[in-house]
Amino acid sequence: MNIADHRDSTFSVLEVRDLHKTVAVGFRRRKVEILKGVDLEVRDGDVFGLLGPNGAGKTTTLKVVLGLMRPTSGSVTLGVDGLAELGYLPENPYFYDYLTGSEFLRFCARLFSLGARERDARVSAILADVGLEGAAGVQLRKYSKGMLQRIGIAQALINEPRFVLLDEPMTGLDPIGRVEVKEIIQRLHERGTTVLFNSHILADVAALCTRIAIMRAGRVVWQGAVDEALAATPGADLEGFFMDVVRS
Amino acid sequence: MRVVAVAVNTFRETIRDRILGVILLFALAMIVASLWLASISLGQEDRMIKDFGLLAISVFGLIVAAFVAANLVRKEVEKRTVFIIFSKPVSRSEFIWGKFLGLAATMLAVLAGMTVFLFALAWFVDKSPSGSLLVAGLLIYLQLLVVMAVTMLFATMTSAILASVWGICVYVAGQLSHNVLSMAHAGHAGSAHVMSALVFYVVPNLSAVDIRAAVVGEGAVARSSLLGWGVYLIAYLVVALLIATAIFRRKEF
Repeated sequence: MNIADHRDSTFSVLEVRDLHKTVAVGFRRRKVEILKGVDLEVRDGDVFGLLGPNGAGKTTTLKVVLGLMRPTSGSVTLGVDGLAELGYLPENPYFYDYLTGSEFLRFCARLFSLGARERDARVSAILADVGLEGAAGVQLRKYSKGMLQRIGIAQALINEPRFVLLDEPMTGLDPIGRVEVKEIIQRLHERGTTVLFNSHILADVAALCTRIAIMRAGRVVWQGAVDEALAATPGADLEGFFMDVVRS
Repeated sequence: MRVVAVAVNTFRETIRDRILGVILLFALAMIVASLWLASISLGQEDRMIKDFGLLAISVFGLIVAAFVAANLVRKEVEKRTVFIIFSKPVSRSEFIWGKFLGLAATMLAVLAGMTVFLFALAWFVDKSPSGSLLVAGLLIYLQLLVVMAVTMLFATMTSAILASVWGICVYVAGQLSHNVLSMAHAGHAGSAHVMSALVFYVVPNLSAVDIRAAVVGEGAVARSSLLGWGVYLIAYLVVALLIATAIFRRKEF
């Protein structure tokens, strides 16, 4: 049975409430408040777009969700079984370039304590899924940017997660690379995997997302369905809606 | 399982590093150079080869221990591969222990290679195999494990280069540990006595397992005390890694 059949759009996969994060920067440890009360809800089966200008707090929010940073206050509630059911692709990822694609994915699979047989099966399947089966034995230092992004997505999916977080998955990709990543996200959605991704490419967001949130200066200033956002703007233009919300 | 995964990956990372190959080549060249030193020493060929060879193993092993251990954790943070690791169900302690065990495996391979090479060379010159050389190699390995653990501890608090320098300082101080204890016993001034005793107890007593003099025929080795000091050094490195884990657990990325 397809996982998509089990989607429950009323079930929250991620609920963030009044999230604050303050960090100390510089020699004098000056306090800077990056997140100023973020509220966010991602529902089961969503392809959720987290939008906002640079410095809005998108990546910090993801890091707090993943436990890479601790919140100063507020709460993060996951509707999945912790990191075991999560997948994550960081922005501009760097991988162990001395490993081959296959070695890298096997290493990631071992971090989820998968047995040897399951590991082999998952690595083969995921390499085929992201179109890298021909480059499995090639060291990552010889991969192109697009191939690295795809191996990055592959490592995020190695545990067959219920919830995937992708930080700027289309950044720096050529048009072919962008289409390939979009197709992967589309396939994940069809399988019922919940996806949250950051992006500045609003055309991709409009094409892929079911719901979006727009962040500005450490807060979520708008959150809702993409259709709702498009309906609110003359010409159904997400870019126009985004600019209106960010500038208001 | 996850510790083993991190350790295997670290072993791959370090063993595939070209710098390690260059260091190893230099070390082997230095050991071979002991043949020349032996040729100009009068009737001391065997002793010269063993003494100089063990020194070369210690020095090059120390370079690997201090510089590689300092970079192991910091490189993961700077290159942001920690995002990949810690977005998976891997704890900070599994990461630190995995890194240490991976480098320990690399160090074992490197030291075993150098020690066996020296053993073969000494056998070739002396025509009689000396098992104590292999024991000395094993004890150098133990000393370097302690240096690695201490350097990793420093690397969680400071820059890689400073951590390397501190690691080397601990090695040097550890080699002088017995002298410090002698000073503590000989000193009459209260503060000097206390300081010497403090240094003796804080710095790992690496000299206690240094059997180089015994290998070249100067003095004997007390096996029972070696075992006790070995256990002490293992306990020391475990404590250093536990502190490193506690500090690393507080870090945000």
